Amino acid sequence: MVHAGSMYVIQKTERTVVELVLENGVTGLGETWGTPDVYALAQRFAREWIGKDALDRFALRDVVGKSSYDNRFGRNGMATLAGLDLAAWDAAARSLKMSLAELIGARKRESIDVVSTLPAAILPKAVSRKELTDHLDVLANTELVVRFAQEQVRKSGFRSFKLKSAAHSPEWDWKLLNELREAMPKARIRFDPNANYGAATATELCRRLDPLGLEFFEDPTGELEGIARLKAAVKTPVASNMWVVRDEHLVPAIRRKAIDVVLGDLFMWGGIDAWRRMARVTHAYGMKPALHSVYETGIATVANLHLASALSEVEYPNDSGLHFLSSDVVSENLKVVDGAMTLPTGPGLGVTLDRNKLDKVALESVEIRS
Amino acid sequence: MAAPVSIAHTHVHSLRIASGAEALVARVLAADGTAGFGFTLNLDAGVARDMAAWDALARAKGVPLFGLLGGSYRKEVRILTDELPAIPADWTALRQDILDGRHELLCIDPFAWGSVEMVQTIAAIANAFDLSIALLAPNAHPWELQYCAALAATLKGEDTRIIVRSMSSSSEIPVSESPGMGIDWAVEPSFSKIQWQS
Repeated sequence: MVHAGSMYVIQKTERTVVELVLENGVTGLGETWGTPDVYALAQRFAREWIGKDALDRFALRDVVGKSSYDNRFGRNGMATLAGLDLAAWDAAARSLKMSLAELIGARKRESIDVVSTLPAAILPKAVSRKELTDHLDVLANTELVVRFAQEQVRKSGFRSFKLKSAAHSPEWDWKLLNELREAMPKARIRFDPNANYGAATATELCRRLDPLGLEFFEDPTGELEGIARLKAAVKTPVASNMWVVRDEHLVPAIRRKAIDVVLGDLFMWGGIDAWRRMARVTHAYGMKPALHSVYETGIATVANLHLASALSEVEYPNDSGLHFLSSDVVSENLKVVDGAMTLPTGPGLGVTLDRNKLDKVALESVEIRS
Repeated sequence: MAAPVSIAHTHVHSLRIASGAEALVARVLAADGTAGFGFTLNLDAGVARDMAAWDALARAKGVPLFGLLGGSYRKEVRILTDELPAIPADWTALRQDILDGRHELLCIDPFAWGSVEMVQTIAAIANAFDLSIALLAPNAHPWELQYCAALAATLKGEDTRIIVRSMSSSSEIPVSESPGMGIDWAVEPSFSKIQWQS
């Protein structure tokens, strides 16, 4: 599949997979972004973690410092930490013979509804920006996206969709969202232009879209002030995974009444405990936490299922892109059935690394020892 | 988030402690047979049952409470004498007062708020609003101090402390590394005389 949005047109995803081996022989799995910077940082942080206690994940956070000011690695640092932190939570949960959801707080749900991404346009291959805009100038091409969505319903019973927008023209998005609504009257549809519309254009477009009863507008514009003004002008809930992504963003968002949904990405927030705290604060002040994701392997996909299961504050379906990947790195066959995914059983994440699958897609690997 | 443990049996017992006050002591039997204990001196059995469930789970897993909650921010906790009033256990008022900037230090009586989860939730909010947390041990009883220390270990923030109303002999309490809540039940001789139902 070719993914087209406002930020990139891609045909593959690269991830860093983490295996963390404890002294007791238990192995934890983690995953994070696959950029060269994050891959290099993962090695650096891993060296600093040797000899530390996996049961004390708070102390493991020291690699990025106590505050955002101390964190010299920016969001790459948070994403790297989150990848290693996930492996530590998995290893701790396996050592304690608890599922990850239980260690986060509880295992309340076995099945979690997931969202199918809809690319901004359906393209035969990854194309240049010019070719994309030419395609988007032909409004009749919206039909391809509608057909793609209907195919996801037929294949996996999806009830929830996220339309990525290239933010090329409000006309394309308006036409396409109307067609999606007509084709799937009961579906949840979230609309995500990644803040690539200016505040005025976005507000005008979202006002026109209000009668469609979309699930939410995800980062229709930005930054916090722009999105807050937009929210005040529309009835549809407004979500963000761009402007509320760290501890210190929460209070300004609460005071400004800027958004309704914190669509938190585990890797932006820097790990399980940070995400859990975010969910508690968000819920306490009348917003709703939800799980953001892009194209992640079975490891991070399942981590998000555990978070949703454990935290009753999570009501929205989870973003998920696993069903679009041509391969995975875990042994379990993680499928979307009736628009939902089932939590694997067993301790920790409940998934195991499949060496053969990993070897087929691995670009590089490195082992860090004491 | 009560403790994620399968509970087979719960029993609450009323106890006369050495000071002459009444305590409620709860025992939870986990499905795997592990016993956990909790207490309160304020006669709300809910907090004692919640504590006992966490104690049972932590003992069953062989870890201190912080091993179940994600980690520990400190090895010991300061104990200060302070008259700062505890914030009434009114969730709606607390959230609004924090939003309105009426607090600098949240003095929380964990026995009045009923559960480990509630303390964790207040702590998450305190962290977001850059507020410090003081846990009140209302009677400065050793059990209260030990429970507050187990909780305080898991709370972010340089200023995290335990408050008592009158000076105790120690100005610092270590965070227990033993499995469970780290409460020394033997400090009350009457505890060992409780006849628990099977």
